[in-house]
Amino acid sequence: MKHQTKLDSREAQQEQQSDTRQAQQTTPLEFATPEELLRHDALHTPVPPTIAHRLQESIAKNPSPPPPWWRRLLGGSNQ
Amino acid sequence: MPQTPARGHDAAPAPHVIRSDAPLDALGESEFADLYAEHNRAIYYLALRLLGDPQKAEDATHDVFLKAFRKMDQFRGESSWRTWLYRIAINHCRNLQQTWNERHMLSNADDAVWETAAARTDSPLRVLETKELGQRIQQALEGLPPEYRLLLLLVADEQLSYEQVGALTEQTSDAVRGKLHRARKAFTVLFGQTA
Repeated sequence: MKHQTKLDSREAQQEQQSDTRQAQQTTPLEFATPEELLRHDALHTPVPPTIAHRLQESIAKNPSPPPPWWRRLLGGSNQ
Repeated sequence: MPQTPARGHDAAPAPHVIRSDAPLDALGESEFADLYAEHNRAIYYLALRLLGDPQKAEDATHDVFLKAFRKMDQFRGESSWRTWLYRIAINHCRNLQQTWNERHMLSNADDAVWETAAARTDSPLRVLETKELGQRIQQALEGLPPEYRLLLLLVADEQLSYEQVGALTEQTSDAVRGKLHRARKAFTVLFGQTA
């Protein structure tokens, strides 16, 4: 009996999750302007992590850039 | 340090800001790593949508930041870091495309196409299926004249003012506002056709 209750509860939970998924799928996203749409797309477009690794390798082959002009002007090694 | 300056104000040079995408384990803790962490998403997205190819966008983003690293000493603080990086990225992508030339100069005939298009552009853009959203956006952008495409992508970045967008596209902020209206309309028509 208790087992049956658990099953019922699980089925109800699954049904609820399915309804939520359906609602999420059928609820249209609305964007007032193309810029809003592009911002949404940019936020959901992952940047490949390989870029950072490639950059690290490329930078390792290059000497460090000289300090910025304002740092040289101030004569200090810190900001 | 504010992460997103209000539109209309020129952002001060600020590489040390809140990190959104921060692969710092790869680049280490440095000023340049902060610069990359803050701006990599914007530069990658611009390259992706201008070039239309993830691999090319990855290569371009790498090249843009490598150029930035080599030229960091030349940065004079007259623009924001974001604008400076965008300028490098736009030039880099233009060189890659090679088809840019003078084609971004629009004729009246080009505008007439959008003005007479039978589509409602005052209603919001509705998206039911997000799975192929990127492809639809790319398709719509590729149907636009390159100048409109670039304008929309830059204006979509809330960190840029119209003045900064104008500086990047070599026109006044008023011209940006005027063209933006037509660019929005053209995009909306083309995006509707991708559904």
